[in-house]
Amino acid sequence: MSARGGLPWVLLAAVVIVAIAWAAWPDDARVSVAARAHDLAAELRCPDCEALSVAESSTPTARAIRRDLKRRIAAGQSDAQIRQAYVDAYDETILLEPEGSGLGVLVWGLPVVVLVLGAGGLAFALRRWKREPRLHATDADEQLVAKTREVDER
Amino acid sequence: MKAELGRFALIVGMVGSGAGVLCLATGLRRHDDRLLRLGRRYVFTVLIAAVLAVLAMEWALLSHDFSIRYVAENNARSTPTLFTITGLWSALEGSILLWLLVLGGYLAFAAHKFRSRANDPLVAWALLVGLCVALFFFLLTLLPANPFETLAVTPADGRGPNALLQNHPLMAFHPPMLYLGYVGFTIPFSFAVAALITGRFGEGWLADTRRATLIAWGFLSVGIILGAWWSYEVLGWGGYWAWDPVENASLLPWLTGTAFIHSVIVQERRGMLRVWNLSLVIATFCLTILGTFLTRSGVLNSVHSFTESPIGPWLLVFLALTAATGIGLIAWRGDRLRAPGRIDSPVSRESAFLGNNLLFAGLAFVVLLGTVYPLLAEALQDRRLSVGEPYFDRMATPLGVALLFLMSLAPALPWRATTSAVLRDRLLIPAWCGALGMIVAIALGAHGFTDVVVFGLAAFALAGIARQFALGTRAHHASSGAAWPRALGMTVRSNPRLYGGLVVHVGVVLIAVALAASSGYATRREVRLARGESATVAGYRVTYLGATTSRTGQNTRVSARVRIERGDHVLGVYAPAIKSFPGASGGIGTPSVRTGLLRDVYLTLISSPNERGRVTIGVAINPMILWLWVGGLTIGLGTLVALAPSARRLRRGRPVPTGQPGPSPEQPRALEKVHA
Amino acid sequence: MRHPTRWIALGIAVVVLLFGIVLATRVGDDPQAEASKSQLLDDPVPEFSVRTSDGTALSSADLHGRVVIVNFWNSWCLPCRDELPALKVFFDRHADDPEFLMLGIVRDDTVKAARAFVRERGIDWTIGFDQESVAALAFGTRGQPETFAVTADGVIVGYQYGPSTVADLERLFARARQGSA
Repeated sequence: MSARGGLPWVLLAAVVIVAIAWAAWPDDARVSVAARAHDLAAELRCPDCEALSVAESSTPTARAIRRDLKRRIAAGQSDAQIRQAYVDAYDETILLEPEGSGLGVLVWGLPVVVLVLGAGGLAFALRRWKREPRLHATDADEQLVAKTREVDER
Repeated sequence: MKAELGRFALIVGMVGSGAGVLCLATGLRRHDDRLLRLGRRYVFTVLIAAVLAVLAMEWALLSHDFSIRYVAENNARSTPTLFTITGLWSALEGSILLWLLVLGGYLAFAAHKFRSRANDPLVAWALLVGLCVALFFFLLTLLPANPFETLAVTPADGRGPNALLQNHPLMAFHPPMLYLGYVGFTIPFSFAVAALITGRFGEGWLADTRRATLIAWGFLSVGIILGAWWSYEVLGWGGYWAWDPVENASLLPWLTGTAFIHSVIVQERRGMLRVWNLSLVIATFCLTILGTFLTRSGVLNSVHSFTESPIGPWLLVFLALTAATGIGLIAWRGDRLRAPGRIDSPVSRESAFLGNNLLFAGLAFVVLLGTVYPLLAEALQDRRLSVGEPYFDRMATPLGVALLFLMSLAPALPWRATTSAVLRDRLLIPAWCGALGMIVAIALGAHGFTDVVVFGLAAFALAGIARQFALGTRAHHASSGAAWPRALGMTVRSNPRLYGGLVVHVGVVLIAVALAASSGYATRREVRLARGESATVAGYRVTYLGATTSRTGQNTRVSARVRIERGDHVLGVYAPAIKSFPGASGGIGTPSVRTGLLRDVYLTLISSPNERGRVTIGVAINPMILWLWVGGLTIGLGTLVALAPSARRLRRGRPVPTGQPGPSPEQPRALEKVHA
Repeated sequence: MRHPTRWIALGIAVVVLLFGIVLATRVGDDPQAEASKSQLLDDPVPEFSVRTSDGTALSSADLHGRVVIVNFWNSWCLPCRDELPALKVFFDRHADDPEFLMLGIVRDDTVKAARAFVRERGIDWTIGFDQESVAALAFGTRGQPETFAVTADGVIVGYQYGPSTVADLERLFARARQGSA
């Protein structure tokens, strides 16, 4: 790719990277109590409904938990402590995301492993195809071509 | 009378499908064309039997015949007519009848379409497999899940359908549309198995089933979006997708099905990716059965909680048989399936499609893993845990973004190999549009890596699609001198498959943008208001005007009138409500939604007026929700366009010979006889 | 390696088989039975503090030394009304026992409505108001009525989800009494 041909692409890449960096820069205002409470609430399952998170549900228990989360954050408890307190009172099903330890490794790790294997397989296959020569004609192919030629010549 | 009629119809269907299977099997073994033609006819008995059974059940429902257990459990005298009719599919036994009806329809369609090829082993095997599936479902209705089971004592009134199902007329459309999708995949599956058995795994079976696959896919896509719409507008929890096990069960076959309809293009063009295509279509069918199993066996709890039923083991065995057959056939044929072609370059449309397959398969794997993980944990470690939205969002989002990227890129990539000059011509301007889109999005308030990338890719994709349409239209305008709109029509008609597909992609882009916008930028608040009081949420002022209580039969409905204003513009009076049924402990909330072009105002009544007359109202401002539904409609429209017959095909009046995708039926047999 | 397709198919078959076995073991599980378990069984009673009807504070420490039946309820819950006669019969039987305390904690209700209910129905046992739902969450409750049995040493040994009969309450009491010895 000549330098001149590549220039528009390099420019484009630069613009895109700057835009992403600008947008993705962590915003300090977001680490407020309310934001932390909301993030935690999104990770907890609402105990008296099916599969909704505490952040989404409007049942009395969910609202009580949201208030409780704010209280706990204000009291200085860490996210891990709060999660553990809820697991102690309810059970592990109160967490919507499996923990990363023990069996949890499977559910987080397997997809990554599968994707890496898939991408690796693809790269490997592409490289092998590039290196291997193109088709060899088999005897059956030669016969077919000969037969077709006969028909043409007739 | 009705129960007897229904049972009789089901027995006829079972015997008919069994006889058909025997007939076709014997005919195939003995190469007896007469038996093959006879076997084909049994497909129509399946359809007639299913129609009769459905009619019998509807008759029983409409006449409130409570001597039949299904009617007594799912219908009451007070049930409105529409919900009486839709009661056919509101519970397990009836929904199997619906499945049989749709299956009968698809099989009859296939039998009719291939009537001139009734003695073709490919067609015969395909019909045989289809009849085996029908036989299984008839067996289900006759043994574990009998819809026409009668009660010893006829109750005076029925229990009525589940309260949630009575809330909205949309209940009429969502399940049938999903079933038209699920069941439709039986046709390509049957043909795939037939192709493996007969050894004709070239492009013939693809061409034969292309339309059926596209129709099934279209229905499934629209069905899923309708489910999301129902979730949002009716269920009232404020969202449209909860990664609930039943929702995931409908998504899984859609994922592999979408990979399949793309991947077949490569096989048609270059004969490659055969193993992928066979695997994808077999996986899609197995996933529809798995989905039914997960939904109906009570193994996983969900919003769609159905009571546990005894068909779980049956479905599991059928699933095992189907998977074993599919995997076994592929293993048997082994590497003879592989095509001689190779992918020449990593930057080509073939490798884009291969990457597409991998990503969709990866996404399906992630969704499946998350859905069944609680079962795994319980089986292996006796631990109960749940996997919810945060997991799925975190895992699926990067894959979804990668797919969006491929979708923008692939239509512009040439086949085989390309040069950087070609890439520049085709991609540079759309890529700049993408960058511009990113900047505009940031200017409008977007933040976060994922959202900005999604908005940029959306602009990139739309620009690429616009470019393709523009090029085609300009060429037709130049060559035929037609006016621009007519040139556009001619362009689309010249290759409906491509342009229909591009329209579907537009729909997908709209949905992607709506997903990104509505999940990150919504505002939710609960406000407690006395009569006449207002609150302001994100620029919208809501005023509580008063509550009304109404009683219908045994149900009490409390609705609160709320006026919404923005600036000095009154947007209207909306009425979220809570309906309480005597049997249920809580009330069922009905949201009230003001749908706007850019934002929805979503109102829910959280608590009815307390002793001081104050109500608690949930107010959510959700951006861009409308575009989810517009995107869904666009996908449906694009599918219709893609199904239209090509102008060239119509003009010549007969199938086009090789050179076009989809060779005519006679040729593959000649070619494949040499290679097989 | 000849026929890699076959090996991949075999691998997938093994995975699918294992998966099928896992699914098969789960069929026939009763999801309803799961609801009657509490995470707190055999754990010490969690810290909480409620305000009683005469305005004094009652905390988990105050329960020590007595067998306690804790019942979460409120005035608008229909199953709570259903179980009220059973609660009364049970309470009357053991009211004179100095080593027994029955504590009804009101969750998710207004004080006014709860007091009115207590007055109307003639509820004699100790009532605590849990306005902030702190106790309700600490006990891992999902709704009401839920009943816990606590030994004199402060360990939760019994749990009932949903309305209780007199027999259920006696069973819980016996277990707590046993655990206190």
